[in-house]
Amino acid sequence: MASESGPRLVEVPEDIALFNRFCLEQRWGDGLPLVPPTAERVCEMLKHTRRAPHEVVATIAPALGLATVEAIAINAVLAGCYPEYLPVLIAAAEAVAVPDYNLPSNQTTTNPAAVWLIVNGPIARRLGVNGGNNCLGQGTWANATLGRALRLILQNIGGAFPGDMDRATQGQPGKYTLCCAENEEANPWEPLHVERGFARDASTVTVVGPLGTWSINTHTRTADDLLRVIGDTMAFPASSDYAYGGAPWLIFAPEHAQILKRAGLSKTQVKQGLWERSKLAVSRLAVEDIGHMKNARAGELGEIGPQTLLPVSVRPEDINFIVAGGAGTHSVYLPNTGHGRSVTCEIKP
Amino acid sequence: MMASKLWVHDPVAARHTAPRQYLHVLDGLAGKVVGFIDNAKPNFHVLVDDVADLLVTRYGVASVIKHRKGGQVAVDEAVIARFAEQCDLVIAGSGD
Repeated sequence: MASESGPRLVEVPEDIALFNRFCLEQRWGDGLPLVPPTAERVCEMLKHTRRAPHEVVATIAPALGLATVEAIAINAVLAGCYPEYLPVLIAAAEAVAVPDYNLPSNQTTTNPAAVWLIVNGPIARRLGVNGGNNCLGQGTWANATLGRALRLILQNIGGAFPGDMDRATQGQPGKYTLCCAENEEANPWEPLHVERGFARDASTVTVVGPLGTWSINTHTRTADDLLRVIGDTMAFPASSDYAYGGAPWLIFAPEHAQILKRAGLSKTQVKQGLWERSKLAVSRLAVEDIGHMKNARAGELGEIGPQTLLPVSVRPEDINFIVAGGAGTHSVYLPNTGHGRSVTCEIKP
Repeated sequence: MMASKLWVHDPVAARHTAPRQYLHVLDGLAGKVVGFIDNAKPNFHVLVDDVADLLVTRYGVASVIKHRKGGQVAVDEAVIARFAEQCDLVIAGSGD
């Protein structure tokens, strides 16, 4: 599919401060300084894909905006991306539009739903996407601008403007940007994209809709204790994952991953172990929330009483994880909205 | 002195603008079947129960059918097909 018309050209002040004031009035931005998407910059970015500028990559909810290759490139320039980042964002736009991701809900919910980009494969190293020390923090251009560009795509193309269609009660800092690579060198198992059926030398982007990040700091040296404390951390009563049977995520610190690997555990066994150790008694939920949960999960769990132990997800394999970060005993828990599912797409030139 | 200007691309994209057509316009509610898609938000079903009573007693609606979603997800295709077959009018819950 191709869009019939190209983007509108707008005359703006050349002065960068005045340009940013203009953008603020137009609601083009995220509150941080923007780069003017001039024809030259957009054209330079478009050189990094074989796809036609007017090709429609995806329709982005809730406004059903047409994410053409060119529209994605314009927002990538606006966010400060280097031109070679474009294929990652094209794949990310495809991924968020897959129905399993549940974008209409993710874009309009009162939950603080971010979009987390996980980049796997050779392109992560080539573009300098950080999967090591401080990979969710500041300081890496690719991580900062790729996540930011997707947010601008969701806002400017998808129409999820804060306070209007984006109904987040508080939102979260991850809505500015949330992007990292998997630390494949420090991962003792197969990386995420291989687990999901892609070739090891393929490059992929995975989109996830987390509600936040929670550090799990434990110095335990045993796999059983590690799974126990992580499972216990996952089990909190105001969690949408438990209410609906979700698909939560974890980032294992390389040190924690090594403990599990040395114990002989596969990824499947780690997921099974976490699923069993993260069950939550129904009695810990608020009465009203029990009603919601029953409405959503009665078909799955049968009769539900106060002592019923709720699994965080319908199946153990619905728990997902990557290995990322540097030295240290900190893993991360990322609860989800309960409905959306992560989607992985291959990044192609 | 005039401030310098430059031209940039508008980052706000075109919207999907496929023409929408009503299948038919209702001439009234009397004798019609009304469907409600409950989005499972608190009290939606309470509101719908009251509205359903009013539709039947005051406006002569023949019957009301309801479907409660499991959460903030798309409605199953089978449910959409059933409502399309049985209802003259369907109202879907949105938001809180």
